[in-house]
Amino acid sequence: MSSSATSCIQTLSSILSAVPSSVSSSSNPSFSLLHDPTVSAEISSLLRHPDSGSGDNNLCRWLYDTFYSTDPELKLVVLRYVPIIAGVYLTRIALRKSLAGFEAILLALYAHETTARDGQPVSVNVPDLSQPSIYHDAKGSVKNKTTELNLAVISPTLEPHGTMRSSRRARIVGVALELYYTKISQMPARSKVEFCEFCDIWAAGVKNERRIPLPWELLQPSLRILGHCLLGSHNSKELFEAASSATVSLYRRSLHDIDAKAILATGSLLRLEKMASDPKLSVDHTEIDMSNVLSL
Amino acid sequence: MADDETPPEGPNGREFSANGTSMSTADVEAKLDRGNIQEAESSLRERLSLNSEEARTLLGRLEYQRGNVEAALRVLDGIDLQAAIQGLQPSNQKAAKLVLEGVYLKAKSLQKLGKFTEAAKECTSVVDAAGKIFPQGISDVQVESRLQETISKAVELLPELLKQAGNYQEAMATYRRVLLNPCNLDNECCGRIQKAFAVFLLHSGLEAGPPSLGAQAEGAYVPKNNLEEAILLLLVLMQKINQGVVQWDPSVMDHLMYALSLCSQTPALSKQLEELKPGLFHRTERWNFLALCCSGAGQNKAALNVLRKSLNINEKPNDLTALLLAAKICSEDPHLAAEGVGYAQRAVDNAKGVDEHLKGVCLRILGLCLGKQAKVSSSDFERSNLQNEALKSLDSALSLEQDNPDIIFELGVHYAEQRNLNTALRFAKKYIDITGGSALKGWRLLALILSAQQRFAEAEVVTDAALDETGKWEQGPLLRLKAKLKVSQLQPMDAIDTYRLLLALVQAQRKALGPMKTDSQVDDKVKEFEVWYGLASLYSSLSHWKDVEVCVQKAREMKQYSAELLHTEGFMHEERGEFQEALSSHINAGLLDPLFVPSKVRIGALLPKMGSIALPVARTVLSDALRIEPTNRKAWYHLGMVHKADGRLAEAVDCLQAASMLEDSDPVENFISIL
Repeated sequence: MSSSATSCIQTLSSILSAVPSSVSSSSNPSFSLLHDPTVSAEISSLLRHPDSGSGDNNLCRWLYDTFYSTDPELKLVVLRYVPIIAGVYLTRIALRKSLAGFEAILLALYAHETTARDGQPVSVNVPDLSQPSIYHDAKGSVKNKTTELNLAVISPTLEPHGTMRSSRRARIVGVALELYYTKISQMPARSKVEFCEFCDIWAAGVKNERRIPLPWELLQPSLRILGHCLLGSHNSKELFEAASSATVSLYRRSLHDIDAKAILATGSLLRLEKMASDPKLSVDHTEIDMSNVLSL
Repeated sequence: MADDETPPEGPNGREFSANGTSMSTADVEAKLDRGNIQEAESSLRERLSLNSEEARTLLGRLEYQRGNVEAALRVLDGIDLQAAIQGLQPSNQKAAKLVLEGVYLKAKSLQKLGKFTEAAKECTSVVDAAGKIFPQGISDVQVESRLQETISKAVELLPELLKQAGNYQEAMATYRRVLLNPCNLDNECCGRIQKAFAVFLLHSGLEAGPPSLGAQAEGAYVPKNNLEEAILLLLVLMQKINQGVVQWDPSVMDHLMYALSLCSQTPALSKQLEELKPGLFHRTERWNFLALCCSGAGQNKAALNVLRKSLNINEKPNDLTALLLAAKICSEDPHLAAEGVGYAQRAVDNAKGVDEHLKGVCLRILGLCLGKQAKVSSSDFERSNLQNEALKSLDSALSLEQDNPDIIFELGVHYAEQRNLNTALRFAKKYIDITGGSALKGWRLLALILSAQQRFAEAEVVTDAALDETGKWEQGPLLRLKAKLKVSQLQPMDAIDTYRLLLALVQAQRKALGPMKTDSQVDDKVKEFEVWYGLASLYSSLSHWKDVEVCVQKAREMKQYSAELLHTEGFMHEERGEFQEALSSHINAGLLDPLFVPSKVRIGALLPKMGSIALPVARTVLSDALRIEPTNRKAWYHLGMVHKADGRLAEAVDCLQAASMLEDSDPVENFISIL
């Protein structure tokens, strides 16, 4: 059992009402910490507390320190709470309260990603099929050797940011979401459900929470996460339903913003969601022949 | 257990058929229901002259069909399938068919029981056996059709089972293996696997690294990450659909739409939509998608042209999304604003029922279009009518969407343009609050309003605060504003320093960002031209003519034909007493940009010096300037002087009064520059 995990759990037990022994005495405490529902529920509720997120908040301090531990599994524990941290943080901006604790964590995630990527943009090639690829032969001659590619930037250059400047806020949170997405297959379903619930709030506001500005740099990573929640290989009905609802909210929001790219992206998710939940469309082509004549 | 599931048809309809003989399944089913597998097997063997393996395979299928998957497994357990697989010979396709069908049936049964790992193991053995029976590859041999069918199904099922078992890495590898060496799959099956893999790559959230270059043909494109690979597969599928090789599947288009719009590659998406055979989408639907693609790529003119078709009275004139997009595009151009009002009004009328939630947005866009239309209105009466309508519309929009920052901002700008500066200030502050200061334009609006109120020092404080909240690449517009505020506060040296900072920033930006700049807020970055032009104006206000000339020359390198520069030169000539040169510079500026107001004002100021003969022309030019910019104080002043010179004292008084009322309400930059 790694010593960083032990001391990390010790500190946490002074913040939470209790850390179950199943976690503290687990053979893989980082993994148990990530998946234990009692611990997650208590941390989540503390993060949502009206006074959470200030600079002297113990839990924020713990999350910040834990993220800087050397144990990669412990980093995952911090990432598990990115939906709540980002969600609560962005919905509280207009309240003008101190959110330095949340900001420190988000900046740490941003700095981590900036270092990991060496500040470089992430880009994607959209190929031109007139040239052959591993998945197809091209009909025409291969006289033009340089395949024509469209370079698409999916995440621009990262500049270092030591403080949370308000005009870079969406980008910094967006990059934290990008980092979350890279580990999303290891995240518990509950964490993803929480993300979807915040999408609802961000898009349209719910009860006391106001909707928030959703520039592309925040919306784009959100839609990647949402795509996973809706169409990824998981079998959590709760997650699918939360993702469906978030998709509807974000689609409506993109209409409100008359944001063409967002309308295309959310609209396609919405149609895919409808197809996925339509039993008439789910033909199983691998099924055994069910005809009435059983022959050899 | 699913034992009580009703089979698709009654037991009476089902029959066995082998070696030329048929028999009803009823008897055998009764035996199986009593748990007598042996008896069922022997009755089948006798009646149809089968061996034990053959009989068991048929019984297994019967149980599976009846929904008794556990029973099917029990029946199949009576055959040593693994040994049978080991013994398969390439020449004996009949034996292979029987064995592989049995194993595949087992895999499906295990899948239904949720035993995915075991199911995947069985399925793997089918796929592996196929490789063994046809070591040269399957494509060159005549393969018995049901054997091929089983193999194809197994190939399609295997990655699904691996995913269900949570073995994602293996699923990824299997997909690639299958698609890079297709085992004679039919087109539809291959297409389905490609789609399933693309979806998996897009949404699994796993980054499995690029496919290995291995045995690939030289020169073939190899995607370098999951997203690229997914896009490639979807494009290949779309090509197959277009060629009629596989059936149309709308979800392929939707996955591609999702992937390409996330990459901001909407032009590539347009291309796909254009290549689509007619009939797959309704034409208006396709037009609307195309319009969104164009607009997403910033090609608003093209988008509007397509929308005009789909909103035609004979097509779908009331489609809300299309109406809103068209109206929004029109709201950005004064000459399209009237057309936009039509769309927006139609949108308002149609925002009901399930679309009621869009009413506020429709009203907002209507307000914007009306406001823009007012700018090109030819009569004062019509203009003030339109302006009132615009404000009314924006106000109702706000009452429906009280926390929509766009509406708050736009109201701020409208009030500011009307010089209702206190109200404008309230909205600007509210906008900054509600966006948490995240949008530059909020800060700029606030600073400009303060500058219009002649509160330059406060405007500078706001600008400095905004600079603090901004990354360095986005500071251009704020530095430009700050320089102008310094000028207004009669601190030219500070202004020059600020311009220097701005120039350094602009030049660094050009070097550093290159083609990779897609940050949302970099769009309104200051061009180097504007810096030199700003400096030229500054030096000209200080009468440093040599410096003015240098700056004008620099600016002209960035932009050869510029009304602004001609205006600056004209002003310089005026100050030097070069009347003819001054006039011709200003006239040239007006010819270059008919909407450029400052030169019109100067022409109106200079012409009266030629004597009374020029007064009617001066009056026309100044009226024209005021039509474009009704709050231009200098234009009112000079128009007043023209009236006075012409002896129309009452008109002169009106104009001069207007000028004095406007005297102290000019912002350092036009409010419109923020939008």
